[in-house]
Amino acid sequence: MVKILPGEYYVSRGEESISTVLGSCVSACVRDPQRGVGGMNHFMLPEDTAVGPNDWLDPAVGLATRYGSYAMESLINDLLKLGASRERLEIKLFGGGQILAAMTDVGGRNIRFIRNYMTLEGYRVAAEDLGGTQPRKVVYFPDTGRARLRKLRPIENRIISRHEQLYLESLGRQSAGGDVELFE
Amino acid sequence: MARILAVDDSAAMRQMVGITLTGAGHQVEQASDGVQALQIAERHKFDLVITDVNMPNMDGITLVRELRARAGYRFVPLLVLTTEATVERKQQGKAAGATGWLVKPFNPDRLLATVSKVLS
Repeated sequence: MVKILPGEYYVSRGEESISTVLGSCVSACVRDPQRGVGGMNHFMLPEDTAVGPNDWLDPAVGLATRYGSYAMESLINDLLKLGASRERLEIKLFGGGQILAAMTDVGGRNIRFIRNYMTLEGYRVAAEDLGGTQPRKVVYFPDTGRARLRKLRPIENRIISRHEQLYLESLGRQSAGGDVELFE
Repeated sequence: MARILAVDDSAAMRQMVGITLTGAGHQVEQASDGVQALQIAERHKFDLVITDVNMPNMDGITLVRELRARAGYRFVPLLVLTTEATVERKQQGKAAGATGWLVKPFNPDRLLATVSKVLS
């Protein structure tokens, strides 16, 4: 079994399973059933402090969504390179919980993003388990499309939340990101 | 203000690039793959083209090569904006005639700075 952490994604063409633990983050499990390739990502949107038009702050279209779009595009592009067809993609969505009462609703932002993204891109949701207050452990089997979901006890919330916080902070540091190279 | 053609198969990406560029006063047209982009670019004149690489029908590197082969786009800046970050891919882009290469997740400020740089 391959474990992925916040900010990572993994693509497989065999029988191996992929697992992750989600608090307020979202994972998309994506596969092409005909081609037998699939994968999983794990992402969240950072709090956006950018100053700009109001819609830049909107979780549906705001600039923070570039991280979500990037996570989705990276996973899907890798699947397409392995021969998957965009029209056949089967997509399952998990996560987006509000696991700590004190936190702003980061999970809700992530859910609004992914729903809007799916609509914009014309993808259909094959299955989902989003929202709520419990963390989740997801094990995904790309060859069969089966996703095994287990809700975790609240006692683990602080640890999961800490991992997600570290990921958020790293996003903040990368926010300069996106290398530019000008050719002569 | 420049007329810019933004090419990406992801609607979410086109929307974001569009918001960033129009917010800076540019006029933006969109295309969802290389074939559509070529058709639009032949009908209208653009000051700059920004394209993704991995797209159906025609990829961004082929689009850059095709545009460079057309008299109207020989000297127009052509930027690539992609998740691809390997030296090999960048070389292909350079060889095809791209002006520059931006790696996603794109930074709006950097995109705007690069756009003004290549337009000046």
